[in-house]
Amino acid sequence: MSFLTVDRLNQVYTDVYTNEHTVAIDDVSFTIPAGEFVSLIGPSGCGKTTVLNIVAGFVEATGGAVQLEGVPVAGPGPDRGVVFQDFALFPWKTVLANVAFGLKMNGVGKAERQATAQEMIDLVGLSGFERKFPHELSGGMRQRAAVARVLATEPSIMLMDEPFASVDAQTRRVLQQEVLRIWDLRRTTVLFVTHDVDEAVFMSDRVIVLSTRPSQVQADIRIPIERPRSWTDMHTNEDFVSIRRELMGMLGVEGAEVAP
Amino acid sequence: MSVQTTAKTSRPDPPRRTGTSAAARWRALRRRPLVTTLFPFAVVIAVWAVVAELGVFPSAFFVGPATVADSLLTSVQRGILPAYIVDSLTRLAVGTGVGLLVGVALGFLIGLNRHARRFSWPLLLFFQAIGDIAWLPIVIIWFGFSLTSVTVVIVYTVVFPLIISIVAGLDAIPTNLLRAASSLGASRWRMFWEVYVPGALPGLSSGVRTGLGYGWRALIAAEIIIGTSGVGFMMFDARRQGDVSHVFVGMAVLGVLWYMTDALVLAPLEKETVERWGLVEGIGR
Repeated sequence: MSFLTVDRLNQVYTDVYTNEHTVAIDDVSFTIPAGEFVSLIGPSGCGKTTVLNIVAGFVEATGGAVQLEGVPVAGPGPDRGVVFQDFALFPWKTVLANVAFGLKMNGVGKAERQATAQEMIDLVGLSGFERKFPHELSGGMRQRAAVARVLATEPSIMLMDEPFASVDAQTRRVLQQEVLRIWDLRRTTVLFVTHDVDEAVFMSDRVIVLSTRPSQVQADIRIPIERPRSWTDMHTNEDFVSIRRELMGMLGVEGAEVAP
Repeated sequence: MSVQTTAKTSRPDPPRRTGTSAAARWRALRRRPLVTTLFPFAVVIAVWAVVAELGVFPSAFFVGPATVADSLLTSVQRGILPAYIVDSLTRLAVGTGVGLLVGVALGFLIGLNRHARRFSWPLLLFFQAIGDIAWLPIVIIWFGFSLTSVTVVIVYTVVFPLIISIVAGLDAIPTNLLRAASSLGASRWRMFWEVYVPGALPGLSSGVRTGLGYGWRALIAAEIIIGTSGVGFMMFDARRQGDVSHVFVGMAVLGVLWYMTDALVLAPLEKETVERWGLVEGIGR
C-alpha cells in the first residue's frame, strides 16, 4: 500500500524582475509505502529540498499532487513532522518546552505533554539537558532535540531536510546511527533529503535519484543491506560499496575520472 | 623576544610576593562591580576638578565639582530638585507608557499585516523625518503650555523608533522557525504569542532603548521651551540667571537618571530574555 504519493510534481519559478520562467521540477513521481526509509538525492540545485517543502506544505506546487494516506496535502500540519538543517528550535524555549511544543499546539494537557516530552528526550539521549536553552547545546545535541520535538507529536511521516549537514563529521556519523536506532524502534515513514551519497545508502531502504534541473526521477534503487546497520563494517559491505559506486557515477562524481 | 616568552612560559606560576601588597589589594578592589562602575566617573571628576582648579576657563562659565556638589546639596535641601525630578520622571513615564502602548500595537500590526505595511510605510518615513522639536510650535498652539503638550511630543518620539524596530525584529525571525511552528500544528493565534512575540523581542528591546533615549531628550527640550517645572526647566532657568552651577547639576542629574533607568529597568529585562536565549550579546557588558 502506498502511503505517500507524489504524483507528477512540477514547479516553475517566475523571476520577478525579468519575468523569465525557470522549470525547477519538471516531472517527479514516486510513492513511499508505510514504514519505509527513503532518501532523495541529486546534484545541488536539482530541487530535492523543494520536493520536501512541497510535501511539507510550505511551498505550493505549480503542478501535480501530493497525497498522504489518500488525503491531498494542503498546507503544513503535524501529520508531517519536519527536521530542518538549521534545527529551527525556538531559542526562547528550553529543550523540554521545545519538545513539548507540538503537543501544546494540539491541546495536550501540561502534565501529559511534559511526560511525553521527557520520554522523547530520554529516547534521543538528552536526559539532563531539559532545562537548557538551545544556544547552550552543541549542534549535535540541538538536532537530537529537534528530532525529539518531531517524534513527540507522532507524525505519520518524518521529513528530514539535510538534517546532519550543519554538524561536524564525527557527530554526523553518531547521529546517523542514533536516528537509525530510534527509527528501528518506531518505524515511522521517513523522507530524507541529502546530498551525501554515503549517508543516503547507509540510512535508507530506498534511494531516489533526481536528475539535474529541470529534475525528473533518474533512478530508484533498493538498498538490500541488513539492519541494524553500523558504520564500523559498512565500508567492507559489498552492497554498500557497489551501490555507492553506482550512485557516485550517476551524480558524475567518479565517472568523470574513469571516462575514456 | 622569543627568549623572553619561553622564559616566561617555562616558569611555573611565579609565587606572588606582592600577595598582600597595596597593588594586589587594588587589583582585588577593581574587580568589585560597584568600583568597576564608579571608577571611570571618578577619573572624569578628577580631571574636571583639575581643569577647574587650574582656572583654564573663567569661573563664571566653568565651575568645579565642589561648587556643583554644593549647589546640588542646596537644591536638594530646599526640595526643588527632588520635586523637579519627580515632575520630569512622571512626564517621561506617562509619555513613554502611552508611546509604548501605541508603538507596540502599531509595530505588530504593520510588521505582520501586508496591507497595513504597504499603507503606512511611506507615512512612517515621512513623519519620522519631522523631528520631535519641530512639532513643538504647533503642539503649543493646540495644547498650550501644558502637560498634554509635553506628553504628545514624548509619545511622538517614542512611537517611531519602536515601530521600526519591531517591524525589523519581526522580519528577522528565521523562516524555518515559522515553518517549524506551523508544521507542529500552531494556529495563527498561537503563532503570534509563541513565535512572533518572543521572536520580535530583540527588536522590541532595542526599540524601547532607542525610544526611551529619544524620549528623554524630547522631554528636556520640551521642558526648556514650554516648561514651568522639571529638570530641563531648572537648567534653562539657571542659565537665565547666569547660574552655571545649576546648569551643571541638571546635566549630571540627567546622566545619573539615564544610567539608573538602564541599570535598574532595561538591563535586567534584557538579561532575563533576549540575552538568556542567546539572541543578542549583552550591550556594553
